[in-house]
Amino acid sequence: MNALRALLVSSALCTVAPGIVWSTDWELSADMRLVSSDGQPSLFDGGLGALRYDSEHEGVQVGRLRAALTEPLGDVWAVKVDASYFGQDDAHPLGVTEAYLEYRPYPVNGWRTRVRIGAFFPPVSLEDTASGWTSPYTLSNSALNSWVGEELRTIGVEGQLEWLGTRLGHDFDLGVNGAVFGWNEPAGTVVATGGFSLNDFQTPLPNGYVGGHSSAVFPEQSIFHELDGHAGFYVGAQARYLDRVTLIALHYDNRANPAAEDIALNEAWHTQFNSAGVRVDTDGGWTAIIQWLSGTTSNGPPDDFYPWPFHARFALISRQWGRQSLSARYDVFGITSTDEDDFGAEQGHAWTVAYIFNQGPHWRFALEWLHVTSEAADRATLLDAPTLARENQTQFSIRYTIGSGM
Amino acid sequence: MGLCIAVPAVAGTLSVQANLASHEPFAGAVITVSSAATHAPVAPVSAIVDQINLAFVPNIIVVPVGSTVEFPNTDSVSHQIYSFSPTKRFQLPLYHGKPYPPVHFDAAGIVTLGCNIHDRMVGYIVVTDATYFGRTDAHGAWSVPSLPRGIYHVSIWHPLLRDPVVSLDRDVTISGDQPVTTTVQLAQALKPAPLQATARSRDQY
Repeated sequence: MNALRALLVSSALCTVAPGIVWSTDWELSADMRLVSSDGQPSLFDGGLGALRYDSEHEGVQVGRLRAALTEPLGDVWAVKVDASYFGQDDAHPLGVTEAYLEYRPYPVNGWRTRVRIGAFFPPVSLEDTASGWTSPYTLSNSALNSWVGEELRTIGVEGQLEWLGTRLGHDFDLGVNGAVFGWNEPAGTVVATGGFSLNDFQTPLPNGYVGGHSSAVFPEQSIFHELDGHAGFYVGAQARYLDRVTLIALHYDNRANPAAEDIALNEAWHTQFNSAGVRVDTDGGWTAIIQWLSGTTSNGPPDDFYPWPFHARFALISRQWGRQSLSARYDVFGITSTDEDDFGAEQGHAWTVAYIFNQGPHWRFALEWLHVTSEAADRATLLDAPTLARENQTQFSIRYTIGSGM
Repeated sequence: MGLCIAVPAVAGTLSVQANLASHEPFAGAVITVSSAATHAPVAPVSAIVDQINLAFVPNIIVVPVGSTVEFPNTDSVSHQIYSFSPTKRFQLPLYHGKPYPPVHFDAAGIVTLGCNIHDRMVGYIVVTDATYFGRTDAHGAWSVPSLPRGIYHVSIWHPLLRDPVVSLDRDVTISGDQPVTTTVQLAQALKPAPLQATARSRDQY
C-alpha cells in the first residue's frame, strides 16, 4: 500500500514554474457494510421500500468504492472528478457522481467569486460536508438529501459571490449563488413514483438511474437528460455567523416542459422547490441541523398533467467527543397526489441514530440504526400490499481511505 | 563651573495584566508599548509561519516593521496563501514545500492571512513600529524590564476582541524605579474561538 501511495504521489507532482511545485490531490476509499434489514424491496430493486438495503440485501454489502481527483490547472483553476461504485444491483452502479471545472480567484478587498462548470450537486445539503458529498454524522442521508443524491445534479454553470466579512473583522460572511443548467429534466421521477427513501446513494452520470429493470411500479428512466431545450436555474443565498451558525436558502426550477419525452420514453418532469436550512456548531462539539424543502413536480400532457406537491424536512443533533460522534435525526416527508387514485401519495417519518469512530485519517467505523414508517397508496394499488410499512435497517460500516492529504 | 552628572535613565519595569470580561486571565493578547520621546527602531526579524494540519502555525505573530516572514507548507496538500489587508496585500500561488522567498512587511498594521482553498485557515501578522511588544502568557501577564523614564502608550490587540481597541489603549508613566502595572480589563466577552477543523467540517479539496 505504501508503494502504491508513493507511486501515486510521485506521479502526481507537477512542476509548473521554477521552484513552484504543486500536486494532484487524490483520494481512494472502500466502504464495506454488514447489514441487517427487514425492509421491503427498495427503490434500487424497483420496489417501494424506503431503505437502501431491503431484506434481500442483508449481510456483507458494498457501501461505496470511491476515487476522487483534484487536478490544478494553473493557480486558480482546477478540475475535480469524483467516481464511485455503489454496488446496487442494476442501477448503473459505477459512474461519475461529480465532474467539474472550478475557477476560484483570490479574494479582492473581501470579495470572492467562484465559478463551477460541469456536473455537481446544487447547494442544498447542510449534512453532506465531508469528502464525496457524504455526511460526517450518519451513514444514511436524510430523506431530503437522499432525494438530492438520487435525482439532482447541476449540469451547467454556477456562479457564487462571497463577502468574507470575518476576514475584515466582522462577524458575518455572506454569499449569493445562481446556476443555469440542463440535462436534469427527468428529476422528479423518483420522488413522484417511488417516494422518498433514506440512503447514501448518488445516481452516477451520465446515464444513471434509480430503479430496477423489471420493476412494475417504477420506470426505468435515466435521470440526466435534456428533453425540451429549456434551461433550468436556481438562485440561493448563504449567511454564516463566524463559524458557528450557517443559513442557506435556495429556489430551484428545472423549467422542464412536463409534456416532453424522447423516443426512449424518458419523460420530463417540471420540478421546482424552495429549500432552507440552518446549522449550528458549538464549542462543546455539538452540531444541530434543521433543513426544510417544499416543492412540486409535474408530468403529463399540457391539458392533463399531474402535479405532485412534496415536502421533506429533518432535524439532526450530533455530539462529537474527540474521534467519535453520536448523532440522532428525525425525518418527516410527504407527497400529495392530485390523481384520483392517490398515485404517488406518501406520508412518512424516520428515526436515525448513528455512532461513528474515526480511528485516524484512514479508518472509519460506523454503526447506524434506521427506522422508517411510511404510508404509500401505491403499495395497495400496484403491489396489493398494505399501504403502511414499518422498516428497520442496521448497518455496520468499515471504511478505509488513502489519499494525498493523509 | 558646571558639574555634569549622568543620571541613569533606566527606571522601572512595566507590567501589563490583561483580563477577560469574566476577570479570568486573557492569554495570547498582543501588547505593544511605544514612546514618542524615546522611540528606538527595533531591528527587523526573519520569522516563519508554517502550515500544518490545515492551520497556520503559529496563527498569530508580532514582528517589527521591515521584517520578513517565510510561509513554508508542511502539509501534504497544496495551499494558496493570500492577504487582502491594506497593510500588505500578497498572494502565494498554489504550493507546498518552501518554494517562495520570504515576504517583506514594510508597514505597520494587521495582516490577515487566508488560504483560498481551505477557508477555515486564518492567521494574523501584527506588524508593529513599537519599541516593545509581545503576547500575554497563560496568566494574562506580560512585562518589559528596565524602561527609561517617560510616558508610554500601551495598546492591546487580539483577533477575537469585541472591545474597541481604542477603548483599551492607555498612556502609562514610568517615573521612578518602582515597577508599574497596568491592568487591561475587557468589558465584552471575546468572540468565540474558531472551531478546530475536523473530519466533520473539512473543506472541499
